[in-house]
Amino acid sequence: LEGAKPALREGRIALLVEHVNNPRHRGVLRDADVVMPGGSPECGGSVVVYLKGDGNGKVEGLSWRGEGDTISMGATSIAMERIVEGHLTMEEVLRIDYDEFVQELGKDLIGSRTRNATLGLSTIKAAIRQYSKGKLANTAEPTPA
Amino acid sequence: MIVDREETGMTEQEIQEKGYANPDALVSTQWVQENLDDAANIRIVESDEDVLLYDIGHIPNAVKVDWVEDLNDPLTRDYVDPDHFASLMSEKGISPETTVIFYGDKNNWWATYALWVFRLFGHDKVKVMDGGRIKWESEGREMTQEVPSFPTAEYPVPTRDDSKIRAFRDDVMAHLKKVREGEGGLIDVRSPGEYRGELLHMPDYPQEGALRGGHIPGAKNVPWARAAREDGTFKSAQELREIYEGEAGLKPDGDTIAYCRIGERSSHTWFVLSYLLGYDNVRNYDGSWTEWGNVVRAPIER
Repeated sequence: LEGAKPALREGRIALLVEHVNNPRHRGVLRDADVVMPGGSPECGGSVVVYLKGDGNGKVEGLSWRGEGDTISMGATSIAMERIVEGHLTMEEVLRIDYDEFVQELGKDLIGSRTRNATLGLSTIKAAIRQYSKGKLANTAEPTPA
Repeated sequence: MIVDREETGMTEQEIQEKGYANPDALVSTQWVQENLDDAANIRIVESDEDVLLYDIGHIPNAVKVDWVEDLNDPLTRDYVDPDHFASLMSEKGISPETTVIFYGDKNNWWATYALWVFRLFGHDKVKVMDGGRIKWESEGREMTQEVPSFPTAEYPVPTRDDSKIRAFRDDVMAHLKKVREGEGGLIDVRSPGEYRGELLHMPDYPQEGALRGGHIPGAKNVPWARAAREDGTFKSAQELREIYEGEAGLKPDGDTIAYCRIGERSSHTWFVLSYLLGYDNVRNYDGSWTEWGNVVRAPIER
């Protein structure tokens, strides 16, 4: 077991790096109902999440773009994959527990950088809340740094 | 791809030719290549914003110092205490006589931050690898995932002296009068959007944000990365003087305070002003905007 932990760590790093190199669902969703920015452009990372709902609590379209470190970009792509491929409802997305998400990524990798690890997920949740409020088509883009 | 390092790698002579007040504060990638096995005298330290880069690959014989986990106190907003610093040094095989060569991502942004913290503890044998990680990588030099192991070193518990290179909120408040009278320099090294107070309106802004946006009155805005060239190396002394003295009006013999959001970007500017341009009196206000923008009645300009 002593030897197993570093291997797991390497595997988890490799997963994040693979997502950084092949980001899932990255791009602009032209007909998004909500465009939600999150994060800090110069510190850790920033993302913009594009969400389209079907009006019945399901996610019809979800994508993102952003820039940042390996943790924030990799974790955003992983969250996107889970939500889109898993056909999660908006309610299910809101119920994803941040601590559990960080545990799965690897607490030993993330350490104190939980904000980076949850940047994408928290911005997706913010987009869903915005959608649910009925404030559609918030087209505000973040000011570039 | 075969790279002819003799021709493409920056040499010490090229650093000399950039005209710095303290050219010895920098070493070239070529120098690091030639000295990386000299573990008895030097320790190469990688310090990044992107904390996983070291695991993905680093310079052979480099150790990692993480500004979050290693240098920040986990409870109080401060740096680790002298006992922790001494054990960190010991664990990395660094003695007070070891010359520490810092490098990292983002134009050595976090490398200079770590260097500044080392200086708080009186570790003065410090240098930066000009060009940082990106230059090393672009020159096709060797990277490894192997974490080196060095014998633990004796590192007596140092005394931390914050007075010379670190400014606190009250110091900045007192400094405002000097700034108004043209006797003190104040430099805000954040992006223009942050300086103008426009970026705080983003929804879901991180908890490190501030309640108010803007800048400290009298501060001039010179984004930190303007000190670097596209290849990650520092601009020449003349180019730097044109920016910091020509545009921002700083005086080499003046009293200068630099700040950003949490004090890391401004440590880069602190390094440029104090080492490369040789200013005697530069302090980094690490409380920076996340403190100032939350202080009741602190004066703000937009």
